[in-house]
Amino acid sequence: MREFLTGNQTIVRGALRAGCNYVAGYPITPASSILNDFVSAFADGSGIVVQAEDEIAAIGQCIAAAMCGARALTATSGPGMSLYSENIGYAQMIEAPLVIVDCQRMGPATGGATATGEGDVVFARHITAGSYPLPVLAATDAASAYRLTYNAFQIAERLRTPVIVLASKDISTMRQTVDLEAIRLSPIVPRRAAPADQPYRPYAVDQPADVPAFAPVGGPVRVRVTGSIHDECGVLTIDKTKITRKLTHLNEKIRANAESLEDVDSDLDDEARVLLVAYGLPDGAARDAADELRAAGVRVSRLTLYTLWPMPERALRRALSEKVEHVVIPELNIGLYAEELRRVIPHTVGIHPITRYDGGLIEPAAIVKRVRQLAGGAAGSR
Amino acid sequence: MSMVTATRHEMSYCPGCSHGGILEQIGAGLDRLGVKPEQVCLVSDIGCIGTADKYFACHTFHGLHGRAITYAEGIKRQRPDLLVIVLIGDGGCGIGTSHLVHSARRGVGIKVFVCNNFTFGMTGGQHSVTTPQGGVTATTPGGSADPPLDISQLAVTAGASYVARCTAFDKELPRYVDVALRCEGFALLEIWELCVAYYMPMNKLTPPALLEMAERFGMRMGVLREPPTAEAPPLPTPGVKPRRQSSGRVSLSQTLSWPGRREILVAGSAGERIRSAVGVIGEIMVAGGLWAAQLDDYPITVRKGHSLSNLIVSDRPIRHSGVGEPDLLVIQSEDGLKRLGSLEGLPPSTLVVANDQLDLPATRASVRRVSLKRAAQGIEKTTVALALLTFGLIECGWIAPEALVAAAEVAVAGKFRDANLQAIRAGLDGRAWGSAAV
Repeated sequence: MREFLTGNQTIVRGALRAGCNYVAGYPITPASSILNDFVSAFADGSGIVVQAEDEIAAIGQCIAAAMCGARALTATSGPGMSLYSENIGYAQMIEAPLVIVDCQRMGPATGGATATGEGDVVFARHITAGSYPLPVLAATDAASAYRLTYNAFQIAERLRTPVIVLASKDISTMRQTVDLEAIRLSPIVPRRAAPADQPYRPYAVDQPADVPAFAPVGGPVRVRVTGSIHDECGVLTIDKTKITRKLTHLNEKIRANAESLEDVDSDLDDEARVLLVAYGLPDGAARDAADELRAAGVRVSRLTLYTLWPMPERALRRALSEKVEHVVIPELNIGLYAEELRRVIPHTVGIHPITRYDGGLIEPAAIVKRVRQLAGGAAGSR
Repeated sequence: MSMVTATRHEMSYCPGCSHGGILEQIGAGLDRLGVKPEQVCLVSDIGCIGTADKYFACHTFHGLHGRAITYAEGIKRQRPDLLVIVLIGDGGCGIGTSHLVHSARRGVGIKVFVCNNFTFGMTGGQHSVTTPQGGVTATTPGGSADPPLDISQLAVTAGASYVARCTAFDKELPRYVDVALRCEGFALLEIWELCVAYYMPMNKLTPPALLEMAERFGMRMGVLREPPTAEAPPLPTPGVKPRRQSSGRVSLSQTLSWPGRREILVAGSAGERIRSAVGVIGEIMVAGGLWAAQLDDYPITVRKGHSLSNLIVSDRPIRHSGVGEPDLLVIQSEDGLKRLGSLEGLPPSTLVVANDQLDLPATRASVRRVSLKRAAQGIEKTTVALALLTFGLIECGWIAPEALVAAAEVAVAGKFRDANLQAIRAGLDGRAWGSAAV
């Protein structure tokens, strides 16, 4: 059944489908309607929704509720992400599952409240002191916003980590044609529960990449939660071996699971000299551009990234066939992800960002033009 | 088993610091209450008192500076059956003032114990929001110029259910602890202490001097707000009715015929239901098996100024949602026209449907001027935009009038259904509204 929904509506639907039952937020354009819609959705008592005094309280409540077993979500825009920063680090340290939706807008500062922009793509990854990794997913439209919000809960619960879902103003507020029932979703994964017959050690793991079993605050087993560096029992420690073990674990549980987090859509041509990499709102233009180029006989590969962090390196390497000489990446920011790509793309391959950050969109024609320039004459054409 | 598992002498606090004694008193109060450790969650803030979680046998939650009350609220909302207590210092009440105020205002049933020693003990004796005027600290070596914040009075003002203030040496302290723990609503007990490392030696403070200080600053000791005698209402839950979902959840048996990607722009003023009109057409198209994308443009003052709405309709999925020069432009009023600015960029293939009272700038597009007065005849005034848009769609020849009406009758829903259908039918006869093509 096709519907005519905004991205914010599909985000709410995705969260509800994933069992979300605690939402706290603070109004901010263009995320506000998410909070409004949860007020309606939870009016029957199926969940708790709170408009907090600020973003700090909103995420603080969500983190605590999550540690009591709730499936929690909070949504904001760039200015609110700045205020979330300290508590995202806290959520990482205590290993709280939490879904954070960032409906990006033009920044920095207040920026353009009603202007689109996707400038939080690196900020989201490095949002906390210490830059411990966390998964960051980027929606391209209302349909993917639905799927990624659902998946964000799955990842958050499986890895006990905050997960950031990026949308942007146009994705959030534009009504689009979507068929949510046609979107395939994996079955809901419950949080791994601590065995009842053993003494509970809230942060005990066998291997660094393992995820500690969960017992809820307020349950029959007493739980210690602390944002200070702690040992496997949640007790503050100055033992360097234990400190290293904990912090290595925070890094490893994301890095070692990177391949399982890769979510891309690849449309590759082994003969193409140009690879189009797209994420977020410009993905639509990239798809239109690829079609136009191919119709004109220009061979081009296209890769859509739904996972931005950890960077989907395996998919990128696969897309970089020997023939690829250039990567073109349209971005609604100052070219942030293009710089990050340099780490995994060989220096023999050129990286060409197409950037726009005035609140407008990148037109397919701009991508077509750049690819044509790079693909050159006969070698790039059929 | 006692809730506090160490004696004050075993705790890590400086000799003479009151923190240990206060923790013993809170522990004793919990023991008198007879709650099991797993029924209690202690949320501790940052600072010397924040390190107390390790001495408690219950669930413990140690978070970031100033945010303890936010975590406590989340826990209490998710698990209203738990006894949730907060240990926080004067520093935490400073950086987290708003959380204290608003949790109290919302009546969240948490018990907040404020250990107020007028200084930042953990970071080297800087002044806090409660440092008395004239108080010497590391950051006010000449004496603090600012008056202290009255945390208890603030809690009273914010609507706390129970508020009391005493010193750590007060014989009534156990009673205050008991009342706070038994209070249904938001309870706050502020306990004045001596920081033996910094504030006490720097200001030659003594226990009796605490009471003199209270008098000097007009801060009343004892109970500032008695707990309500009747049972307090439970934590408020939002009492709202679910809103109507507007999503066009019907589909027609037949797919509408449509000539490719067409971009439509309707420009008018706030209050003219521009966005609704475009939404109605969008829903019809989606129900008819086409793809649509609607993006609106309006100022934050939603009741004044322009209202523009872009609609892309296509017979294929819409991927790039950017719009160029529209194929159909409907201009209903001056605000919309102003927002558009020049019409010079419009190609000759664009059709403009414009209010005949507007002073249109030069354009190469073909223009149909219509009389809004005539367009409004026989329909609701708020649906004129929908009638104009329908007229434009038909004039463009993208869709057959019968097909549009048939689709509308199936797809249009909601409380404006009849008015909207009437406007769509009226739009079919739009040629009767005004002047011929310009």
